Amino acid sequence: MAFVKSVTANNSQDNQRKQPRDCDHLKIQLQSESANERRWAARDLTDCPDAAGVLVAQLKNETHQSVREVIFTALTYIGNEIAVNGLIECLRSEDASVRNEAIESMKQLPNQVAPMMQQLLKDSVADVRIFAVNVLESLRHPSVETWLINVINEDQHVNVCCAAVDLLTEIGTHAAVTPLMSLKARYADEPYIQFAADVAIKRILSD
Amino acid sequence: MKNLNISDDDFQKFREYFYRKTGIQFEPTKRYFVDKRLVERIEKTGFDDFRSYFTFLRFQSSGEELQHLTNLMTVNETYFFREQYQFQCLVNSILPELTARKKSSTPIRIWVIPSSSGEEPYSIAIYLLEKWAEINLWDIEIISSDIDTNILTKARHGLYSERSVHELPKAYLQKYFSKVGSEYQINDDLRSAVEYTRVNLSDRADTRPYRNFDVIFCRNLLIYFDDFSRKAAGETFFDALNPGGFICLGHSESMSRISSLYKVRKFPEAIVYQKPLENT
Repeated sequence: MAFVKSVTANNSQDNQRKQPRDCDHLKIQLQSESANERRWAARDLTDCPDAAGVLVAQLKNETHQSVREVIFTALTYIGNEIAVNGLIECLRSEDASVRNEAIESMKQLPNQVAPMMQQLLKDSVADVRIFAVNVLESLRHPSVETWLINVINEDQHVNVCCAAVDLLTEIGTHAAVTPLMSLKARYADEPYIQFAADVAIKRILSD
Repeated sequence: MKNLNISDDDFQKFREYFYRKTGIQFEPTKRYFVDKRLVERIEKTGFDDFRSYFTFLRFQSSGEELQHLTNLMTVNETYFFREQYQFQCLVNSILPELTARKKSSTPIRIWVIPSSSGEEPYSIAIYLLEKWAEINLWDIEIISSDIDTNILTKARHGLYSERSVHELPKAYLQKYFSKVGSEYQINDDLRSAVEYTRVNLSDRADTRPYRNFDVIFCRNLLIYFDDFSRKAAGETFFDALNPGGFICLGHSESMSRISSLYKVRKFPEAIVYQKPLENT
């Protein structure tokens, strides 16, 4: 037979630490030239809550996707204010994959993201407001519908309102019907708003 | 006085705690399944109600009760040669590609997670012995892991029902098993060919030592995880694989929906996922 077993199942000779794994050293290793070392440093920094700042800083310069993904996961696990602010900052990135990763991470942090959501939904950049609505899509938080209603009542950008209406179609209750009708009146010349709001209202009233 | 009723609030608390600890998420449709097992453990541990049991569960430093509960909550339904097309893919497509660039002095390492009761790792071993012409030229390590310690004991023991072996060709059954009453016991050579280990895929400390694998079989596990836990598992596998290593998921699962780190490889027998070769 050709089956063998290593001394231990996990090939532990490769698990010998080449570098110290305390938080301070891991922060230094996050600057390594080797993407593999940066990746492992980011993974282990998950257990260092005060590392959120350096992880956020690294995210801005990180070019290797596999490292970036781990940094997003680490920031999601850490989930403190610095981490969440870093994720919000990523919504302004030119790189769509960075924005999408940030949105996915923020969806996992309803309680941490909630206090910042109102501000985010009033951001001066319409795209950021749309991404904030995207975050709401899967944010398990009781205020989601209220925030969306505020968006369709107040936001002056039609695309932001469109995103909010689409989501209200999924999660809206009777509380959203009157604001949806007001939105239709406000954007009487926008065919998509007419169509999407009608779909939302129909879906809500059929419940 | 005993109160073995699990309220909605109790269920929510428990599912959030269990998810944090294991990555396994129970939807409300699983309520009956979860409640039944919780009540069983509350009774067995002698507590009067969910609240006192839950406090015990969370603060027990050894984690022994969490392990008992995990053993009860995990599903271990499988059989020999399940989704056999992936074993064909291993022999006909994956191993030829791996061996073409691998030094014969290093073993081919295969990780099976979840192990369940051993049907899958033993199936791989049998398949390699029967179908892979180069079996005698290479050393192969099969490491099979599960979060459930009871099921690992069962896997090591290697005793199977008629239902578990129904897909196996008769000749293999005769060659690798002996009849014990109404059951079939896998032979000692195969039992010693597989290393069984306890691993919680959602625990970074548990998975950290698992590295340098050439092939991972993780079939029908990630369907029990939510999106975030799936993503974290995808990253764990990425770290566990050698560059160019392969991961095989269940037929309804797709790594493309979990992580963008892997290359999709469409082989004639199956679609599998590969860690890119160039990963500095």
